[in-house]
Amino acid sequence: MVGRVSTAAAPAALSLIPSQEETLLREAVSGICRQFGREYMQQKRDSGGPPSELWEALASRGYMGVNIPEEYDGGGLGMAALSAVGEEIAAAGCALLLIVVSPAIVGSILVRHGTPEQKERWLRGIGAGTTKVAFAITEADAGTNSHNLATSLRRDDGRFLLNGQKTFISGVEDADAVCVVARTRTSDGGLGLPSLAIVDVDAPGFTRQQIPMAVRGADKQWTLFFDDVELEEERLVGGENGGLGVVFDGLNPERIMGASISTGIGRLALERGAAYARERRVWGQPIGAHQGVAHPLAEAKIELELARLMTQKAAALYDAGAPGAGEAANMAKYAAAEAGIHCVDRAIQAHGGNGFALEYGLSDLWWGVRVARTAPVSREMVLNYVAEHSLGLPKSY
Amino acid sequence: MKICVLVKEVPDAAVEKRIDPSTGRLDRSGERNLNPYDTHAIEAAMQIREGGSDVEEIVAVTMGPESAVRALHKAVSLGADRSVHLSDDSLAGSDVAATGYALAKTLQRESPDLVLLGQQSDDGECYTIGAVVADHLQMPSLTQVIKLDVEDGAKLRCERQAEYGYDTVSVEMPAVISVGDAINEPRYPSLKAIMGAKKKPLDAVAAGDVGIESDHVGEAGSQVQCGDFKPPPEKAGGEIIEDEDTDETVEKIVAWLDERKLL
Ligand SMILES: Cc1cc2nc3c(=O)[nH]c(=O)nc-3n(C[C@H](O)[C@H](O)[C@H](O)COP(=O)(O)OP(=O)(O)OC[C@H]3O[C@@H](n4cnc5c(N)ncnc54)[C@H](O)[C@@H]3O)c2cc1C
Repeated sequence: MVGRVSTAAAPAALSLIPSQEETLLREAVSGICRQFGREYMQQKRDSGGPPSELWEALASRGYMGVNIPEEYDGGGLGMAALSAVGEEIAAAGCALLLIVVSPAIVGSILVRHGTPEQKERWLRGIGAGTTKVAFAITEADAGTNSHNLATSLRRDDGRFLLNGQKTFISGVEDADAVCVVARTRTSDGGLGLPSLAIVDVDAPGFTRQQIPMAVRGADKQWTLFFDDVELEEERLVGGENGGLGVVFDGLNPERIMGASISTGIGRLALERGAAYARERRVWGQPIGAHQGVAHPLAEAKIELELARLMTQKAAALYDAGAPGAGEAANMAKYAAAEAGIHCVDRAIQAHGGNGFALEYGLSDLWWGVRVARTAPVSREMVLNYVAEHSLGLPKSY
Repeated sequence: MKICVLVKEVPDAAVEKRIDPSTGRLDRSGERNLNPYDTHAIEAAMQIREGGSDVEEIVAVTMGPESAVRALHKAVSLGADRSVHLSDDSLAGSDVAATGYALAKTLQRESPDLVLLGQQSDDGECYTIGAVVADHLQMPSLTQVIKLDVEDGAKLRCERQAEYGYDTVSVEMPAVISVGDAINEPRYPSLKAIMGAKKKPLDAVAAGDVGIESDHVGEAGSQVQCGDFKPPPEKAGGEIIEDEDTDETVEKIVAWLDERKLL
C-alpha cells in the first residue's frame, strides 16, 4: 500500500449522526421535490422543456448553492451539504443533472481558481442558483484519454479564438454558459496544457446538436461545435495553460455528486421494491417472505448504505482539503453506481412484469442509474485509479 | 399583536404506531418530528403577519422532554421568532387536562393576543388541548378552523369545519384557535431559516418558573388511568369476486350490497 502523510491542518470530521440542520435540509428539499413529483418530471421530459420551476423552487430557498461560500451568496456548507441535496432530489424521483455540473464542478473550480471579477460575474449567480454553467470536457476522438483533447484556444489580437467539438454535454439547453476544457495552440502549431474557458451559450460561432439518449430525464445531452468563438482573456479560469490540476479540482465534486444521485435513486427503488414485496401475494403470503425475493433486496440495502457512507467520507475529506479526497471520491462513485444499479435491478425483479410497466415508476429509473457506471468517470477508469494509486500497481495504459 | 403557537414533538408519521406492552402507553421511541398539524398553525401565524396585521412576535411554545428542542428548532425555522420550552421531570405522565394546565401556565407569562395550535397531535390525537388551555386562560376557543381573518385588529373571523359545511364564527381576541390541515399549505423553510434557527432565542423554563403547582401535573395530577390497552384486532380479509362472467359478477356484487342493506 502506498503510504501517505497527512498534511491537512484541519481534521476532516465525518459526523455519522445527522445534525438537526441536515435533517431539516433533507426534509425541506425532499418536500419541495415531492410537490413537483414524477408527473411534473414526465411532463417536462415529454414537452422538452427544462425543469426550471423545480430548480427555481429549490434555488430561491438557497438549496442549489449550498456548497458555495456565503460571501458569494451560497450556503457555505461544502460538498457534504450539496451531496445531501442531490441525494434527496434523486430520492424524490426528480433529476437535475445541472446540480452535478454548475455548483459542484464549475462552482468548486471558481472557488479555488477564479479571479475576484470571475467570482463576482459567475460564482455569485451559481451560489444563488440563478446562473447555471454546464461543463464540457468529453470529446469523441479523445474519449477517456484527456491528453488527446483537441479543442483549441488560439491567441488572436489580444483575444482567444475557440475551435473544436465536445460531445455528451449535459444541460446546455438550460445553461447560461458552458465551461469548456480546451488547449492553447503553441507557436509551433502544437497543443499546450489544458485551459478552462467560460463560453456564453449564445456566443457567435457556438452551435449545438441534441443527441437522442435512452436516459429518461428532463436534461438533454448535446454535441457542441465551436467555430472561431471569440473570447476575452478574462473568460479563462485559472489562466492560460492552467492545466489539468484546475480541471481536477472540479472532478472530485462531480464524482461525489454522481455518487449522491446514484444513492438517491437506489433509495427510491428499494423503497418501492420493499413496499411491493410486503404487499404482493402470489402463494398466499407476501412475496417478501420468500428469501429469493428478500435477500437480493437486503443485499442491495447493505451495498447502498456502505456507498452512502463512502460518499459522506469523500465529501468530508474534500471539504476539509484533506488528502485522500480523490481516492474516496472515486471509490464512492464506483460503490454508489454499483449499489444504485443493483437497487433498481432488484426492485424491478421483485415487481415481476410490473417492473416494466411505466405506472410503477421503476423502468424510468433504469437508464438514469445505469449511466452512472459509465459517467462521469467509467467503472474501468476508477478501477485503474485504485489499482495504481491505492495499491501501487503499475499503470495499465 | 403577539401570537403564541403551541407545538409538540411526536413520533415521525412514517413510524407505525403501537402500544408498548410494558407500559400500556403509546410507544414514542424512534424517529420524532414536529407534529404536522402544528406546522399549519405556524403557517397561519405567518400568514396573519404577512397579511398586514401588526404582529410583533410569533412564539413557539412546547412542553416535552429534552428532545422536544428539535421540534422548537423546526418551528423557528418555519418562521417563529423565538421559542419557549417547558421541561420538568414532574410533568412526565401528565394527561390531557394536566398538560393543558401546564401549557396555560406557561402561556400566561407570555400574555398572547392569540394562541394557535394544530387541531390534533399525530400521536395522541385527543383534539382537546386547545379547549383545556382556553378554559384555564378564560379565553374563547374554536376548533377545526380552516380559514382565519383578522378584523379591526381585535377580532377574528373564522370558518370552522362542521359536520355539514362550515360555520362562520366571529371571536374577540385574545382567543385560542386550533386549526385543521386544510387551512393552508405550510411553506418549506429556506436554508437560511434552517441555519439561523439555533440563533433564535430559546427560553427553557421549569414547572416552578411558571407557577405550575406540582400536584396538578404528572402522573399524580392526572385523572386518566392507562388501562389494559391492546392492539386493534386484525381485520378480516375482504371478499374477492373474480370476474369470470361479467353478468354473474354484477349479480354477486348486487347481492353482496343487498345483504348489507346498502342498496
Ligand atoms: C448521460 C451522459 C451525460 C454526460 N454528461 C457529460 C457532461 O456534461 N460533460 C462532459 O464533458 N461529458 C459528459 N458525458 C460524457 C462522459 O463523461 C463520458 O461518456 C465518459 O467519461 C466515458 O467516455 P467515452 O464515452 O469517451 O468512453 P471511451 O473513453 O471511449 O471508453 C469506452 C470504454 O472503454 C473503457 N476504457 C477506456 N480506456 C480504458 C483504459 N485505459 N482501461 C480500461 N478501460 C478503458 C471505458 O471505461 C469504457 O467502458 C456524459 C455522458 C453521458 C452518457
